[in-house]
Amino acid sequence: MNYTKLKALAFASVLLASAGANAETILRYATIGEPPSLDIQVGTATISSTISNHMFETLYAFDSTFTPQPHLAASDAVRDGGKTLVVTLRKGVKFHNGQELTAKDVEASLKRWGEHGSRGKLLLKSAVSIEATGDYEVTIKLEKPNGAWRNLLAFPNGGPVIYPASVMATAGAEPLAKENYIGTGPYKFGEWRPNRYVELVKFDGYSANPAPANGLAGKRDALADKIRFMPVPDVGTRVSGVQAGDYDYAENIPGDLFEGLSADKSVRIHLGGAPIFGLMFMNSKQGPLQANFKLRRAIQTALNKEEALRVSIGPETLWKANGSIYPKGSAWYSEAGIEAFSEGNAEKAKAMAKEAGYDGTPIKLLVSTNYQFHYDQAAVFTSQLAKAGINVQMIVVDWATLIKKRAQPDQWDIFFTHHGTVPDPVLLTPLNDTYPGWWTTPEKQALKDEFTGTSDKAARIKTWTKIQALMYQQVPAMKTGEIYAYNIASPKLKGLLEKTIFWPSLWGVTK
Amino acid sequence: MLYNILTSYAMRRTGAAAVTMAAASVIIFAFIHLIPGDPTYVILGDGATPEQAEALRIKMGLDKPIFVQYVTWALNVIQGDLGNSLFFQAPVLEIIADGAETSLLLAGLTMIWVILIGIPIGMLAATRQGTTVDQTASGLAMFFASVPTFWVGLYLILIFAAWLGWLPSSGYPSIFEEGGLTNLRYLLLPSLALAAPNAALILRLTRASMLDVARQDYVRTARAKGIRPWQVTTRHIFRNALLAVVAAFGFTLAGLISEAVVTETVFALPGIGRLVVQSILRRDYPVIQGVILIIVMLYLVINLCVDLINRYLDPRVELE
Repeated sequence: MNYTKLKALAFASVLLASAGANAETILRYATIGEPPSLDIQVGTATISSTISNHMFETLYAFDSTFTPQPHLAASDAVRDGGKTLVVTLRKGVKFHNGQELTAKDVEASLKRWGEHGSRGKLLLKSAVSIEATGDYEVTIKLEKPNGAWRNLLAFPNGGPVIYPASVMATAGAEPLAKENYIGTGPYKFGEWRPNRYVELVKFDGYSANPAPANGLAGKRDALADKIRFMPVPDVGTRVSGVQAGDYDYAENIPGDLFEGLSADKSVRIHLGGAPIFGLMFMNSKQGPLQANFKLRRAIQTALNKEEALRVSIGPETLWKANGSIYPKGSAWYSEAGIEAFSEGNAEKAKAMAKEAGYDGTPIKLLVSTNYQFHYDQAAVFTSQLAKAGINVQMIVVDWATLIKKRAQPDQWDIFFTHHGTVPDPVLLTPLNDTYPGWWTTPEKQALKDEFTGTSDKAARIKTWTKIQALMYQQVPAMKTGEIYAYNIASPKLKGLLEKTIFWPSLWGVTK
Repeated sequence: MLYNILTSYAMRRTGAAAVTMAAASVIIFAFIHLIPGDPTYVILGDGATPEQAEALRIKMGLDKPIFVQYVTWALNVIQGDLGNSLFFQAPVLEIIADGAETSLLLAGLTMIWVILIGIPIGMLAATRQGTTVDQTASGLAMFFASVPTFWVGLYLILIFAAWLGWLPSSGYPSIFEEGGLTNLRYLLLPSLALAAPNAALILRLTRASMLDVARQDYVRTARAKGIRPWQVTTRHIFRNALLAVVAAFGFTLAGLISEAVVTETVFALPGIGRLVVQSILRRDYPVIQGVILIIVMLYLVINLCVDLINRYLDPRVELE
């Protein structure tokens, strides 16, 4: 085939392709992989939240300052010193099946979330009753006040998204089947073609929140007709796909491409508004680190986190060696204990380890290769610890194996994972008693009770500061530094938020 | 007569294949379940509670003894039911069928490239042995046989999709969807990338076996009889050299299944190769088992076909 013919063929195929595209706008979002179930009441996978956020809604939603605002709720009242919460719903909100949202749906959804939801127990373990006390009014009665309640009702990941009561009637602990993906969001479930895409379709009957759009709160407007989330596991392909115009948005681009892409006119950088951070959990159930806080502090002292961040992430705009669990600017930001964050002092660590009675027993560090920065940082830390005479044995596995092994306390002493920014510290995994690591010291429990026992924001911040200080003292888990992930978008996309809030959202976006 | 021999041979081989499949199924099942890992947390995410994970494990039947799980699965397979994917909650057969379209078309297109490029250039190189044409062709073949397919793939995407914009960079909508047969353009770059090393090998093999055959006595006799040179090349040399090349086609085609894993990942194609790799990472046992079982079957069928074709091309070949 000669050049002219090839060009003609290419031109013809472009024509054919654009003929189809004129009819409707489809936003094509390249994901790092296939999502598991989209039922995010029970699932906490990031990619599921990214997709489901367009379909399902919560009573509250976060604005651009990460403050929860009424979303499906219209207003609320707090009574009995915080033990009774009365939420009034917006009227006229329609589900994707055409039914109107009523208090019965909220009651059923919250009950299922409380019993089977990943984060439901955080709020509803102490629930006395959850009841529809009117057509548009739900009353939650708690044994004791929970200061995090609005945050917990607003966070959709493993959170209380509202489904119809009819769906909840048969829902159990396992994720919902596809035909039951019915929500109130601006997009409804379209089609799931395994290996190809998940397609969401604009919901014409959507009743938007009347407040002006602010972060994830307020008005949500479905501008594009469809959104397709397509699995593109290879990062090079995600990037060239956006450059070539085959995708409109691609997530999770590595730091080493940042400078090149910043200068590239065929893509636009979309920064993550909230960082993720690496976390190294210590085994509080078994092994040499079980209750040896001195040895844990020796390990903490040996680590230079900045060095690990530079090696694993690259450009300094994309990471911060910040010891506060929450980033600067957050209400939860605290400097308690952070002087111990990244000392990188091998000599001091050696002396501390000796004092802690460390005898050279190998410390098993469990890490996966699925996330490159986990492995890179773990490798840097292993060599830093060796300099302090602490013998670390890396156990490198894939993520599915790590998840299995970390549940077995005899298999590891430290394991590596990462955590997203969460709106309230009660959502942090180190505070969860059953999360591998199993941090359940009496000091922690006392502070945790104090923390959830009040709704007063100032008092809660004060207690959180004490918890962070305790985390540097007992070292149940070490933060390894903040990483600002970034995504790329086609320059043609209009209406993207300046930065993502937890996950990218494509309502209000068109091309 | 020949037809009868071929039929009875094929029947015997099919019987042996059934035994092989049964043995393979045991091995596949055992190996996959020996890998540590837990699909429940992959499905529920990192924040799931142990109670949630346990409930899902029971729901999926993963709490039962491994032997019971095997027997249940094997009995279903015999009835043509490969089970449901743990991850997608959809029938494995449906998922594989969807991936098979991509994989088969990709393999088909690749084989066309391999034949169109490998054989004629190989013939040309052989007939012009030692000339610049031969040296260039052999040099290029050496190059493409050595570079990894993902490298070729990424460069093809960069040049033809990102810079020139002639072809799509990745993905593949089915030919049964909007766009119809024009969707095949999505497979042009991947099939070229996948064909590169294989065409190179076939080129070198065609050249080598033709040179080999050209030294045979009967070729000299043919030339001495005054048969036209091109007829000697096509009828006497090429036809005999083809035996080795056809045998190579068999393993090239079979090899494509595993090589396609990389290509399918680079071009984000919804094929079988990527499906099986992703399923292993997710510990989606029924899908892994189903795909591998079908691949084993394909290998057996391809081997049988190669033997039959060889017998057809060369009557001296004995079918045991």
